Amino acid sequence: MTGAWTTFLPLALVLSSLLPGLIIFTLREDQVRLRISLNLLAATLKLCLVGVMLWGVDRGLSFRFAIDFLPGGGLVLQADATSLQFITLSAVLWLATTVYAIGYLENSPLRSRFFGYFSLCVSATMGVALAGNMVTFLLFYELLTLATFPLVVHRGSKKALHAGRVYLAYTMGGGALLLMGVALLHSLIGSPEFQPGGYLGPMLDAHRPSLILAFALMIAGLGVKAALIPLHGWLPQAMVAPAPVSALLHAVAVVKAGAFGIIRVVFDVYGVEQMQALGLATPLLALAAATILYGSLKALQQQELKKRLAYSTISQVSYITLGVALLGPLAAVAALAHLVHQGLMKVTLFYCAGNFAETLGIHRIREMDGVGKRMPVTMTAFTLGALGMIGVPPTAGFITKWYLGIGALDVGQDWVLLVLVASGLLNAAYFMPLIYRGWFSAPPAQWPEERNLGNGKPGLGETHWMLLAPVIFTTVLSLLVGIFANTELSPLAWSQLIIDRQFDP
Amino acid sequence: MSAALLSLLVPLFTALLLLLLRLRAGGLVIAANALSLGLAVMALSTVVSTGTQQLNLGGWDAPLGIRFELGPLTASLLVFTALVHLLVAVYAERSRHSQTRDTDFWPLSCLLHTSLAALWLSRDLFNWYVTLELLGLVAVAMVILSGPKAHAPALRYLLLSLAASLCYLLGVALIYGQYGVLDIRLLADMVTDDRVTRLALLLLTLGLMLKAALWPLHQWLPAAHASAPTAVSALLSALVVKGPLFILWMLWDNLAPVELARQAGVFFAVAGIAALISGGWAALRTPWIKVLVAYSTVAQLGYALLALGLLLHWQDPTLSTALWLFVIAHGLAKVSMFLAAGEMQATLGSRKVSALKGASQTMPIAMFAFAVAGGSLVGLPPSGGFVAKWVLLQPLFSQPSHWPWALGVLLGTLASAAYVFRVVAIAFDRADPNRPDYDPDTSAQWLAMLPALVVWAMALMSEPVIRWFGEAGL
Amino acid sequence: MTHVSLYLLGGIALWVLGLHALMLQRSALRRIMAVNVMGSGVFMVMVALASRGADIDPVLQALVVTGLVVAASATAFALRLATADAGDNADTKQPADQERR
Repeated sequence: MTGAWTTFLPLALVLSSLLPGLIIFTLREDQVRLRISLNLLAATLKLCLVGVMLWGVDRGLSFRFAIDFLPGGGLVLQADATSLQFITLSAVLWLATTVYAIGYLENSPLRSRFFGYFSLCVSATMGVALAGNMVTFLLFYELLTLATFPLVVHRGSKKALHAGRVYLAYTMGGGALLLMGVALLHSLIGSPEFQPGGYLGPMLDAHRPSLILAFALMIAGLGVKAALIPLHGWLPQAMVAPAPVSALLHAVAVVKAGAFGIIRVVFDVYGVEQMQALGLATPLLALAAATILYGSLKALQQQELKKRLAYSTISQVSYITLGVALLGPLAAVAALAHLVHQGLMKVTLFYCAGNFAETLGIHRIREMDGVGKRMPVTMTAFTLGALGMIGVPPTAGFITKWYLGIGALDVGQDWVLLVLVASGLLNAAYFMPLIYRGWFSAPPAQWPEERNLGNGKPGLGETHWMLLAPVIFTTVLSLLVGIFANTELSPLAWSQLIIDRQFDP
Repeated sequence: MSAALLSLLVPLFTALLLLLLRLRAGGLVIAANALSLGLAVMALSTVVSTGTQQLNLGGWDAPLGIRFELGPLTASLLVFTALVHLLVAVYAERSRHSQTRDTDFWPLSCLLHTSLAALWLSRDLFNWYVTLELLGLVAVAMVILSGPKAHAPALRYLLLSLAASLCYLLGVALIYGQYGVLDIRLLADMVTDDRVTRLALLLLTLGLMLKAALWPLHQWLPAAHASAPTAVSALLSALVVKGPLFILWMLWDNLAPVELARQAGVFFAVAGIAALISGGWAALRTPWIKVLVAYSTVAQLGYALLALGLLLHWQDPTLSTALWLFVIAHGLAKVSMFLAAGEMQATLGSRKVSALKGASQTMPIAMFAFAVAGGSLVGLPPSGGFVAKWVLLQPLFSQPSHWPWALGVLLGTLASAAYVFRVVAIAFDRADPNRPDYDPDTSAQWLAMLPALVVWAMALMSEPVIRWFGEAGL
Repeated sequence: MTHVSLYLLGGIALWVLGLHALMLQRSALRRIMAVNVMGSGVFMVMVALASRGADIDPVLQALVVTGLVVAASATAFALRLATADAGDNADTKQPADQERR
């Protein structure tokens, strides 16, 4: 019966958060314990399932679940190396973010609704990661939009609603474009399963214009979520959402779903050779480079902490697109590794921003003066995350930038180095003042809005333990993936494995 | 075939029973609907196993007798009609706000069921005239159940409906004068491309488009559908406008000379896109909840019209599948949407869209039903609406010269997303929620949700259905 | 044949006249009459078509009879609806009464 459980494991991964999510919807507000246990149980269970899957793939088992859906393209969930990387990231960060969100939302209203949609959102992300063909990917990509909207407008204020409308306008528009692109490809060849090297080779000569249009439509659709300029407008607005939502949106779910989709389209649908033959890589490369610089420049101008982080995300996620668009093996490794690295670092930064806001009421950058004396643990985590973003060795961010740089030289696109250097300098320019203020400025006589979340003393009691534990966890993880980048267990090694398959079929 | 006939007769006899005994028992009608649904499913399974069947009523052969034909599409539509009637009837009996308990709704809805079933089964121009008239009269009678304020839109609906029928009848007379038969299959073999045929087709088309509220003849629909009681609005939008559409499709697919069909196809397709955009725009602007839902019907019929037009223009039979999947998916989604909208407006005590503020908290299930049904209208996967749109899009992308039509579909999708999420976004406004006048009724909200769940479940069995429609023909 | 075409043309003319009136008139009663004129036009066309050949075509006559029944009942319904409507506008409404038809 080994066949049976390997078939249902991918489905179980999606359901392990979907079903608890649906149960949570029906809970009353005061059933706090039941809700928390359900949440944590589901998150832990999912992590275990991912562990089993990693073990199974290592042993050479294949996990595949398929049912009929459309002629020419069924619903396929399967675990290949690329999806495993993404689901591992999501499962780990979901557990951390769940703990964080429980602490963050303690005593606030409508928690059943929040955690219900929160679970749906993770299920949709799992589906995006496990999708075995474009039709399935599209399905979960749209569900992700629907599941995240209530989270963005969770506060229900005028500003939140406005942000929610903007978010919907962008993502529904993007979803419609993606639908068109996928349907166009489907009309040519159906929706076969993803395969390294792409499946469009035989169509190349007969359907050139169709393939180019489909690519443009799909990248436009995915670019909305991946926040490529000029489709990035929703992201800074969506910052009104509660901090765990921002963390999830930026590190795992939405932005990553877009970037992951671009990886899929470029490597597993079109394939490197066809991309080169169609000349599609250069425009994508230019777009990614422009987004990196634009995001950094805008981040420099922001006075609000979360807004600055948001623009930083726009810039950082485009490293993934950049690495993909370079179409070389080294750059591709960097892109895939950055998917994980950026996730870990960004989620840490957002947790920290949330901690500052919740504990001391800090929202603006000038309010950060001396925060390191009051909250040293959080500030240390923030510093490490920021240094990672800048790319200081030996952090995870350094590894990615290094590989990106030599990847660019490898394929002869030397000018990308300039972009990387400029972006690194800009990153430093917008993160260093924060670090300086936090550690070296004098703290104010009174914090903007101090709340009694921990014991009030600097150190492990500086804020609620549920807010602090995830921060420490993700910081340690992001350090480990950087320091142990050369071992077999690291995301980098795993990315290497994926890319070897892509370039030497 | 006998099961299909029984599925038609059960509601007919129930209606007569209710009228004769002056009963207004909802429970009886629900039982009859369930029975009719079971019979329709049996008919469907016979068609699946043995193929299309014929029945000559009273043993009379065409051209004089009445011929019923039970094919894959007719069987599916019989099931669809019975299912929608059952779902709506359960809501109408259960909800406090349905305005239909103990009224003439019950016999009328049975008559509506009967006339629709007869329409799906008929293959005869004059028989269709009779069923159309019946459908129109019953529909108007149901609109006025909501009280005197509905009289003015009901009268306008009735007069337009009568005029449309007479338009259709003149077309029928011309066809008969030319060919001497009324049976659609006999006509299909005889028809030639001459001026009388063209004039007759024009008259038939105008009458049917007016009855089906197809753009640009749709102006009567929003007022009539929005002023009816909630359960009736659901039936009108889901079923009644689909009857004339069926005849229109039959006529053009079978009778029209190819050259004429190619030309007319462009007109239909353009009208479809215009419907999508103008209906969507009107739904986006209106301040009233039910009018919004009614305009969405106008817009969604645009998809059907677009599919019909391109079907004729390219003579591509796969588009028929798209058309009917749209009709079925729209019907189910619209039932859910109308029931949810009606339940919310009654509970919250206002007909305005702005009254839905905070409805995601006060009436979460109804609001969720509205959103889920809306998702199918927008075409989000994996709903029935998505499958239909997918089937429609495939031929649109097959050649670069067809691409401009896909732009129309894209615009339609965006317009529908805009009006659906206009409502959803307001519902999440927590700052100043609108307090309900009554305690929200959970079970009625779930009944509104049910059809929306069915339309999403449709996607799971879409592959066999698409294949079957493709292979067996409609 | 000439008298057949005369009737045909007459019928079509009646139909067009009725349609014209329906579109222009606002009063409910006039509009109902307009629909009836349209109906008479169609029936006249059908009867004229029935008498084209040597034998009178029974199918068309049967259709006209059916059509007349439908038209009469529809007219009755429309008249009731129109008078109920007028009644509302004149004095206070009695919803229960109207609902029962």
